[in-house]
Amino acid sequence: MNTTWIVLGALALLVVFGITQYNKLIKLNISVDEAFAQIEVQLKRRSDLIPNLVETVKGYASHEKEAFEKVVSARAKATSATGIHDVAAADGMLTQALRGLLAVAEAYPDLKASANFLQLQEELATTENKVAFSRQFYNDSVRSLNQSVKTFPSNFFAGFAKVNEREFYEVEDPQDRNAPKVQF
Amino acid sequence: MSEVNFRSHQAANKRKTFFLLASFGALMWLVVYAALTYMGAGTAGIVPIAVGLSLISVWGSYYASDKLVLTMTGARQIQESDNPRLFALIQEVCLASGLPMPKVAIVEDNAPNAFATGRNPEHALIAFTTGILDSLDRDELQGVIAHEMAHVGNRDTLVSAVAATTAGAIAIFSDFLMRMMWFGGGRRDREGGNNPIALILSLVILILAPVAAMLLKAAISRRREALADATAVSFTRNPTGLRKALEVLQSDSTVVSHASNAVAHLYIESPLDSGKVSKLFATHPPLSERIAILKSMESGA
Repeated sequence: MNTTWIVLGALALLVVFGITQYNKLIKLNISVDEAFAQIEVQLKRRSDLIPNLVETVKGYASHEKEAFEKVVSARAKATSATGIHDVAAADGMLTQALRGLLAVAEAYPDLKASANFLQLQEELATTENKVAFSRQFYNDSVRSLNQSVKTFPSNFFAGFAKVNEREFYEVEDPQDRNAPKVQF
Repeated sequence: MSEVNFRSHQAANKRKTFFLLASFGALMWLVVYAALTYMGAGTAGIVPIAVGLSLISVWGSYYASDKLVLTMTGARQIQESDNPRLFALIQEVCLASGLPMPKVAIVEDNAPNAFATGRNPEHALIAFTTGILDSLDRDELQGVIAHEMAHVGNRDTLVSAVAATTAGAIAIFSDFLMRMMWFGGGRRDREGGNNPIALILSLVILILAPVAAMLLKAAISRRREALADATAVSFTRNPTGLRKALEVLQSDSTVVSHASNAVAHLYIESPLDSGKVSKLFATHPPLSERIAILKSMESGA
């Protein structure tokens, strides 16, 4: 009689333990999805800033065609990209192109002094930081998920919860990851 | 490579806070024990009263902390349109930390300082003096915001409320006992069988307990500050910004005019004149020490 209760108790504990582990994995997986959605929101915000920026720079430096075209084509690629790998690659290209455009702007003192450009610069700076921080938060979320998928005891439940390791968001240019700042 | 990074600092500071909170429990137990030895079993009834009184006062202010602190410090809540740049910076740190956007307030004061409050991340409020907004650049301000958001994320309002409750309960309790000693001293005669050394020891414990509680409270506050620095770096991955901000605060000697002991632990830098409080009672580690730790993170990470 007593042993039955002990066995039942142990079983109940096991079930509770299993449920907690399962829920933990599911939650981690959802937080990775959310973090990725946040990156996309911030990338979208950056894309939305670009037409305005290009127009402003054009007003002062209309002949710098190459720099504009790079930004415009990188932006087009970034908006159509899907899947983490493509998004990350397009993101890296756009960052590069923007840097090129801002380097061009350096040569035009009138442009640099214009109120419109200064405001755009500030907006771009904060958006670049937001992109960088949402990447960082995504990668942190992925790291804790991957840790749980790989380590004991949660690794037992990963298959059951259909939760797999996730990919890190790697930007091509290593400089981007280390420095979440835009230098003008 | 080296152990000098924000993760190890975070873990060490959490361990120390736990140890300090456990010491509070031990101190409480010691006081009750001393009271029982000295005054007899009847005094045990005061413990729930002391804890209850302290709970009501501290937890009332904890629950309404975001609103109460606003009036106590003279802070004024602002909207995004009032300072878009500050809001953009706070949004950046929110993205980095995964915390919800807090309420933001401004204190009209030339002394550079900032604080965070609120009972949980959903009811958080962070406030900045006009002085700090004027004297810091983008990166430095980001470091300060990250420090305040770290307080929010680490639930330091809760930790300090627990500390304040226990310290308050101990203070009320010893106060009660002291009064009883004056008016009911005759009681000791009936406990005549007790060891005189135990009696003297108990008396000493009762006298020193409130001081010990104050010291523990200050030590916990200092740990939480150090933890918030480490957590801030885990948000921004940029120890340099916060370090430079602290250096600016260090070089500035203006004192926040609205600050009092009651809200001192909230600020990023102790708002009180540091000459007046000894190091053991300070709510913050010395700025030079915090700067040194951040410097070691810059080279070690």
